[in-house]
Amino acid sequence: MRENESIGERGKENKYFETRAKKIRVLQRTNRRIVLMTVRAYVIRRIIVIIPTFFFISILIFSLIHLAPGDPVQAMVGRHPPSREAMQILREQLGLDQPVPVQYLLWVSRLLSGDLGYSYVSGRLVWDLVSEKLWHTIELMLLAEIVSVAIAVILGVIAAVKHHSIIDAICSLGALIGYSAPTFWLGLIGILVFAMMLKWLPAFGILTPGVTFASPLHALVDHLKHLILPVSILIITWTAYLFRLVRSSMLEVLQQDYITTARAKGVRERVVIYKHALRNALLPVVTYLGFSMGFLLSGAAVIEFIFSWPGLGDFMVTVARIQDYPVIMGLAMIIALMVLFANLAADVTYAVIDPRIRYD
Amino acid sequence: MTQSSRTKSERETEEVYEPSRATRLFVVWRKLKRNELAVFGFGIVLVVTILAVFAPLISPYDPTWMGPSLRPPSMTYFFGTDAQGRDLFTLILEGARVSLYVGIATVALELLIGITIGMVSGYFGGHIDEVLMRMTDVILTLPELPLLIVAIAFFEVRSVHVIVLVMGLVGWPFIARVTRSEFLTLRESTYVEAARSIGASNRRIIFSHILPNILSTIIVLATMDIPWYIFYEASLTFLGFGDPLSYSWGVLLERGYLYFIGAGKPGHWWLITIPGIALFLTSLGFNLFGDGLRDALDVTTSGR
Repeated sequence: MRENESIGERGKENKYFETRAKKIRVLQRTNRRIVLMTVRAYVIRRIIVIIPTFFFISILIFSLIHLAPGDPVQAMVGRHPPSREAMQILREQLGLDQPVPVQYLLWVSRLLSGDLGYSYVSGRLVWDLVSEKLWHTIELMLLAEIVSVAIAVILGVIAAVKHHSIIDAICSLGALIGYSAPTFWLGLIGILVFAMMLKWLPAFGILTPGVTFASPLHALVDHLKHLILPVSILIITWTAYLFRLVRSSMLEVLQQDYITTARAKGVRERVVIYKHALRNALLPVVTYLGFSMGFLLSGAAVIEFIFSWPGLGDFMVTVARIQDYPVIMGLAMIIALMVLFANLAADVTYAVIDPRIRYD
Repeated sequence: MTQSSRTKSERETEEVYEPSRATRLFVVWRKLKRNELAVFGFGIVLVVTILAVFAPLISPYDPTWMGPSLRPPSMTYFFGTDAQGRDLFTLILEGARVSLYVGIATVALELLIGITIGMVSGYFGGHIDEVLMRMTDVILTLPELPLLIVAIAFFEVRSVHVIVLVMGLVGWPFIARVTRSEFLTLRESTYVEAARSIGASNRRIIFSHILPNILSTIIVLATMDIPWYIFYEASLTFLGFGDPLSYSWGVLLERGYLYFIGAGKPGHWWLITIPGIALFLTSLGFNLFGDGLRDALDVTTSGR
C-alpha cells in the first residue's frame, strides 16, 4: 500500500518533470529562433557597415598616396627622367593632372567595377599580378593558422589547468620567448641552421628551380619541403601569441562561480574543463582569430621576403620599394578587404556561439 | 570621547583607502619587486638604456672606424667585425640608441594622438565619438606592417624619423580605444560628478581628475608598445625602407642577410645572430617589465 502510494507519487513527479522538460524544450527552441533572428539582423547590419568602411579605407589609402611627398611619374621613369614635356604628357595620360577629388572618384568607380588598373612599371593588370600571388599567401597563412590554433589551445588549456606547475612555467616562458623574438630574425636563424648548416631543408622559393619532376607527387613533396621552414616560423610567433591568450582566458574562466558549481555538483573534472570551461574560454579567442588575419599578414610580409616566397607580402615589399603606385593601392585595398571580411566572419561566429551578447 | 575615537577611526579608514601617492608607488614597487621576471626585464631595460646613453664612452672603436673585415668574435672585437671591417660591438651599441629613440619617440607620438582622440571621444561622446571610433576601429583592424609599408613607400626620404612618424600616425588607435573606455567609466563616477557639481571646468575635470587616474593603464600600454615599435622599425629597415646609413639593428641584419645569401654558406654567423639577439633581449626586457607592471598596477589591457 505504502509502496504503491510512493510509486504513484513518483509517477506524478515523473509526469511533472516530463511536462517541465517539454516546456523547457519549447522555450529553448523559441529562444534559439529569437537568437538566430537577432544574429541574422546583426550580420546584415555588419555587412551594411562594411560599405562606409570600404569608402573610409579607400579614402585613407588614396590620401596616403597623395599627401605623401613623392611623385608617381618621377617614380615611374626612374633615374633617367625624359624631358619635362614628355613627363607632362605622361601625367595627362594617367589622369594625374586632374584635381585630387576627381582622381579619387575615378579610382573608386573603377575599383567598384573590379578594375584595379595597370602597373606603371610592368604594364600588366594589377589584378593579374595580385591573384597569382594570393594563393601562395593563403596557403602559408592557413597552414600556420590551423597548426598554431591547435597547439595553442592544447598547451593553453594544460598550462591553465596546471597553473603554477612546471609545465605551465615552461610553456609560458617558451611563449614569452617566441613572442619577443622578431619574426624575421627567427626566419634568418632558420635559414642559417636548417638550410645552410644542416642542409635539411631548402630555404628559398616554392619549388627547387631547374628540376624536372618525375611525377606531380615528387613536385608536391618538394613543395612541402619548401613550406616547412616559413610555416614553422609563422607558427612559432602566432602560437606564442595565441597561447598567452588561451591561457589567460582559461585561467579567468576557471575562477568563475559556475565552474565551482559544476565541481560541487560532482561533475567529472574532464567534463568541467572541456565542456564548461574551454567552451567559454575560447570565446575571446574566436574574436582574435579575425585579427589573426592582419597579424599573419604582417608576419607573412617579412617571412615571404626572407624566404623568397612569391606571395602577397613579398610582392608588397617589392612594389613598395619601386613605388609602383597603382599596384600598391590595389594591393592595399585587397588586403584591407581580406582583413575586413575575416573580422566579419569572426564577429558572426562569435555572435552565433555566444548568444548572451547583445548587438545594438 | 566617543566622538574623538570615531574621528580617529575615520581617519584611519581614510588612510587605508586613500594612501598617499608615495605609498601607492611603494606598494606598486613592492609588488613589482616580488615578481622576479619583471625585475629581470627591468634589469635588461636598464642595461640597454645605460649602454645606449653612454655608447660613445663604452664603445671601443668609432662606429665609422674600419679594420680587418669579417673577423669572428674575439677579445679585440667582442662581437667580431662586419664586411666593411667595422666593429660589431660598437655598431650594436649605436643600434641600441636608435632602437630606444624609435621606441620612446613613437610611443610618445602615439600617446599624444591616441590620448587626445580617446579623451575627446570618451568625454564628449555623441557624434564626435561615433565618427572617431569608427575611424579608430577601421585602422585598428588593418594589419600593421603592411599598412606601415604602404605608408612609408610614398616617402622619398628614407630615414629613422620618417619611420617613427609613420608608426606614430598608424599606431594610436588602440591607445585611443582604451583611453575612451576609461573616460566613459570615469566620466560617470561620483567623484567626477562631485567635481562638476562644485563647478569645475571640463578642462580641470579632464586633466586633473580623470587623466591622472588612467595614468597607470597608459603607462602599461606604453611599456608594452615599445618592443613592438622597435620590432617594426627593425623589420621595416630590414625590408629596405629605412636609412641604409643609420646604425639600426635592422640595417645590420639586412647587411648580414645579403652577405649570407651572397656567400651561400654558413660562414659568418655572428653577422645575423648577434644583432638579432640584441633585438630579442631588448624586446624581452620590455615585455617582461610590461607584464610585471600590468600585474603590479592591476591593469586589464583588453580595451577592445
